Amino acid sequence: MKSLGKYISKYLASFVGLVLILLFINGIAFGWTFYGIMTKDYGDLSPQSMLERTAASASLKGISHEISEQLRNNHIWAVYLDMGGNRIWDVDAPAELPEHFTVQDVAVFARGYLADYPVFIRNTDDGMLLLGYPQDSYMKLTSNYYSLRSIKALPLFILGILAVDFAILFLIYYCSKRKILKNTEPIITSIVALGNGKPASLSMHGELSGIADSINKASDILSRQNQARANWISGVSHDIRTPLSMIMGYAERIAHEKSAASHIRGEAEIIRQQSVKIRELVQDLNLVSQLEYEMQPIHKSSVSLSALLRSYTAELLNTGLPDGYSINIRIAPAAETVSFHCDARLISRAVGNLVQNSIRHNPNGCNIALALDCTDESISLSISDTGIGLSAEKLKELNEKPHYMKSTDDRLDLRHGLGLILVHQIAAAHNGTMQIESEEQKGCKVILDFPIDGGS
Amino acid sequence: MDHSFLHNKKLLLVDDEPELLKMVTSILSDDGFGNIVTAASVKEAISAVQNEKPDLAILDVMLPDGDGFSLMQQIRTFSDVPVIFLTAKDEAVDRLSGLGLGADDYIAKPFLPQELLFRIYAVLRRCYKEDTPLINLDGCTIDFSRAEVHKAGEIIPLTAKEHIFLETLARSEGRIVTVDTLCEALWGDNPFGYENSLNAHVRRIREKIETDPSKPVSLITVKGLGYKLNTRK
Repeated sequence: MKSLGKYISKYLASFVGLVLILLFINGIAFGWTFYGIMTKDYGDLSPQSMLERTAASASLKGISHEISEQLRNNHIWAVYLDMGGNRIWDVDAPAELPEHFTVQDVAVFARGYLADYPVFIRNTDDGMLLLGYPQDSYMKLTSNYYSLRSIKALPLFILGILAVDFAILFLIYYCSKRKILKNTEPIITSIVALGNGKPASLSMHGELSGIADSINKASDILSRQNQARANWISGVSHDIRTPLSMIMGYAERIAHEKSAASHIRGEAEIIRQQSVKIRELVQDLNLVSQLEYEMQPIHKSSVSLSALLRSYTAELLNTGLPDGYSINIRIAPAAETVSFHCDARLISRAVGNLVQNSIRHNPNGCNIALALDCTDESISLSISDTGIGLSAEKLKELNEKPHYMKSTDDRLDLRHGLGLILVHQIAAAHNGTMQIESEEQKGCKVILDFPIDGGS
Repeated sequence: MDHSFLHNKKLLLVDDEPELLKMVTSILSDDGFGNIVTAASVKEAISAVQNEKPDLAILDVMLPDGDGFSLMQQIRTFSDVPVIFLTAKDEAVDRLSGLGLGADDYIAKPFLPQELLFRIYAVLRRCYKEDTPLINLDGCTIDFSRAEVHKAGEIIPLTAKEHIFLETLARSEGRIVTVDTLCEALWGDNPFGYENSLNAHVRRIREKIETDPSKPVSLITVKGLGYKLNTRK
């Protein structure tokens, strides 16, 4: 989400930058074009230089031949008036001009036009020089007066306008960004959720509703598939239970049947033990799939983990720990009073799986230790054994390789039991973490860490 | 604890799988239960409860003409018979709905016969007290009805707390009972802060029941967990 915000900021900022660059280029183009017209098109013929040159050679007596030729070539006429307003001489003056100019006439043409010709004037020592340019050459502004105050305020005004412009641009930028983010946020959130395999549901109107529909559809397909998979696993695990009960029941009966031959009893005992393994697998499989697709409702309540561990251990000892194994339990005084908001059955299951793992992987027996420690922020539950431990490669594999339940890899040698993945999921369901520490011949230790307000 | 006194209790088994009914019946009768009734549907189960008046009903949840939960609710309208669910449904929701209805236990299939028997006995013992609650220990006998210990011709009275303590242990005879369960039974609370009181009770009880209180053989401490009571048949 943050990256999207950055992306949009960058995008809009570059957009604003472009607008500014465009304005700058416009300014340059404008200046360059007009400078070009002024200097190139008229150049020496511009009223400014023409007036200067003409005035220099003009007097009551007339004007130099060279200048008058130049005026004529450029269709500029000239009139020279004395102080009384009488026309002394002219060059190609239009016929409609009077011989004598009254004060009113002068006042009128001095501001702009004389008989529709744009007129430029210059006072000389003896009189006044008028240059009339062709009718379609110049436009004169006749009302070119401004109050001094407004002229003085001009720089400030321009600065102000610029500031306001920038403010408006920024506001547009900010609002656009907000709007885009607001419109796209639910979509992005949903896509992120989908990416994590979680369902997404969007309700949107307007241009983006098509995208929202597609996301909803994708989510729907995903969750239907997950549901179907979980239902399938749960169905199989349900249907297998009754027949398995019979196998376990009769196997145990034969194993304890005194009239049966001892090798038959022994074989029945093997059937019984193996069917117990199938039972564990069936239970784990169902729970793993339910947790995986978040279909297992977690029933959390305040639980004393110390009591839970004692009760689990007592139950294990009561049902009989096989020969060669021992279990002990250590609870830090601080952990004794802590109550943890969790699903007791799941936590108990996680502990059970880890203890059973220790028993299974150490057929020659080992010492199993359960420990509960606690700080202000977290509870740490560890299950360790004094068994054969794991090699560095095996530990790496457990930590890194995906479980076959989650892997699309065909390689079956990646397989290992469901026990650990279930523990991992149970820890995750309580916002906790699972960590495995082990060294060959030095036993194995699994630590479950839970934040104390774990998901409450 | 000897549970032969429970063997005359009448048990009702409800399951739609005849093979399973047959197997559970033989497991129960092999262990000494002589009075077992079976039913394969809700309808049969209701009439069995009405006519046979069983002392314990073991119900499946999925039945051809209804589910075990509503069966239990129907039974509850006219009978208070203890109920154990024995079912292939193992999800937490089912477990909660079963126990939420007030069932005495919920056992998920598949099960080992020994587990089933243990849990049936546990429910029966909880619901039907022994008529002659005498417990034989090594060197003494506890009479729970009189709250007395008979040791070497001597009669030693038990206090109320000691009585509860020993009864709690005797109910799970030979099995470890955690300090949490004991404190819950004695004070209705968690064990924190009761450690010394509990130790004091244990010391006094050992003086009453053990031949040599410094080397206990009946009331055994299981370090870090709790206690257990060893009885003699």
